[in-house]
Amino acid sequence: MRDSIKTYLFIAVLCALAFSSCKKEPEASFILNDVELYPNAAGKTKIKSNEQYVAILHANLFQTALSANDIFEINNCIESIGDKELAREVIISNFMNDSDVILPTVDEMNTDIDAFITETYVRFLVRYPTEAEKEYVRNFIITNPYVTPEIVYFSFALSNEYMYY
Amino acid sequence: MKRRDFIKKAGATAAATVALPYILPSGRLFAASGRQMSEHVVMVMFAGGVRQQESILQRYLDDSQENEPYPGNIMYNMFDGAPPEEKIVFGTGQGGINPIPQLLGTTLQQQGTIFSEVSALSAGHFGGLNSLIQGSTVTTQGLKQRPLNPTIFEYLRRHGGYSASDMWFIGNGISNSVPLLNYSGHPDYGAGYGANFFAPTVTFAETCENYLGDAKVYHPENELSPMYQLKYFLDNSFDQYADGLLSLGNTEEEKQSIKEFMKEMYTKTNNGTVALPPLTDNGDTATVGYACETMKWFKPALTVVNLNGVDTCHSNFSGYVSNMHRADHAVGHLWNYIQNEIPEMAGNTTLIVTPECGRNLMPNNILDENDWRSYDHSDMNSLRVFTQLAGPSIPSNLIVGGEGNPVGKVTDSMMTIADLLGVKTEVQAAGLVAPGTQSLLDQL
Repeated sequence: MRDSIKTYLFIAVLCALAFSSCKKEPEASFILNDVELYPNAAGKTKIKSNEQYVAILHANLFQTALSANDIFEINNCIESIGDKELAREVIISNFMNDSDVILPTVDEMNTDIDAFITETYVRFLVRYPTEAEKEYVRNFIITNPYVTPEIVYFSFALSNEYMYY
Repeated sequence: MKRRDFIKKAGATAAATVALPYILPSGRLFAASGRQMSEHVVMVMFAGGVRQQESILQRYLDDSQENEPYPGNIMYNMFDGAPPEEKIVFGTGQGGINPIPQLLGTTLQQQGTIFSEVSALSAGHFGGLNSLIQGSTVTTQGLKQRPLNPTIFEYLRRHGGYSASDMWFIGNGISNSVPLLNYSGHPDYGAGYGANFFAPTVTFAETCENYLGDAKVYHPENELSPMYQLKYFLDNSFDQYADGLLSLGNTEEEKQSIKEFMKEMYTKTNNGTVALPPLTDNGDTATVGYACETMKWFKPALTVVNLNGVDTCHSNFSGYVSNMHRADHAVGHLWNYIQNEIPEMAGNTTLIVTPECGRNLMPNNILDENDWRSYDHSDMNSLRVFTQLAGPSIPSNLIVGGEGNPVGKVTDSMMTIADLLGVKTEVQAAGLVAPGTQSLLDQL
């Protein structure tokens, strides 16, 4: 009887050792989270041509493409004016006078100012704002009663950074 | 406050009070050293290549076409002389048989001085225009390149303290690098001292009206002010990465004025009320009409107008004399308009008219509709031009030089403008003009 108990115990220890010594290694797996990558301001070293500028501006404001003929004609108009910044200003204000321009409402802007700022930076400058930029623009919107999305878009479209890529 | 501090601060305040009124828009502390002889100057670049023979020498067909012994003056607003009596093709109507009536009761010749034989320095258009506007010719000047040396606009703004809207360049179009002539690429001058520019037959044409003519008018304080404020913030953030864009330096007020002027021009164009010459049927006459409007609106210290209709002479001699006749008509209208419609410029404006180059002595082999021969510009005859001056400080009814006795160079026109507007000393000191260039007023 005592021998059989020893035998059972011996067999149980053997089984325990056998199962515990042969464990399968877990497979390591790596995945990447989706992150949207944008250039920063420092990477913009090339100046846009007049044609590139108006094509991108139109896409940003109307979310449709300009025809090649329109681009050619607008370039000629810009060439015919000495102050190019002024020419761009007039073109933007003409676009803003078009009923098809797509702009957020003032309420939409004020409902989530941070989201509006981020969306505007990404849309026009193809990058996220820094915290300092976000802070400045947020205060600018909050403290200026006449600021509308149109004015913000106008400023971005007229900025020097928007002329570079 | 301690006595020493009080004296120090009071001294600084007094010095600033004395000095600040003299700080000019250019950042310059003192006004130009020269004596300003004219409040306004208008230079007409009578360009496109003008032969002496058909212009100041008044030979019409006599010197250019075989078996056509018909001399005559087709520029009778600018020069004294009887018009041709036969073979008239430069006027209006079928075949151009009706000459345009004379506009000026007294010719510009009687009102001013003509340098009748002036040496051009380039037989090409862009080289010639450059010599007129920068007072020099540079052999490395490219055709699609801004002037290498400073233009008269930049000298005036940098050394004379003029604002951007005091300087206007009105071009006949946007081809042939004309829009590049409003400032140079010179590192000490450049865009910040440049002139405003319009090519009005493009800017105010129907096509551009579609893109520029419906500009929204923003409230200057409630809308434009915050708009610029945010733009300047964005520019400051970006300036650490880029040199910034070249700017003419129009102030916000100047920009606003230019935008209002553009709106006015679209309205006037649509209403047919632009101050065009009585006969306006080509680009040069239209350009001069808009130049008149520009002068009336801005009263610039310097206005430069570029014409080029006569360049048809490469293949159409009849068109050439027709356009020369119209250019004379346009210059007469411009002078008339200044004296009668712009009181701020009447009696204190000096006019300078100079072709940028002449044309060949011998024709090419192209015949036009009248079987008349055409002329290019590449020989020594292409370096013969005239310069005409009129205005309050210009002797009247005087002719300087003549055939075989050249006096003056085309580059002298630029130095004359510098002289009239008081920056001649500074321009000479810069040392960037063609050797021997001097004010025409010093050659009287």
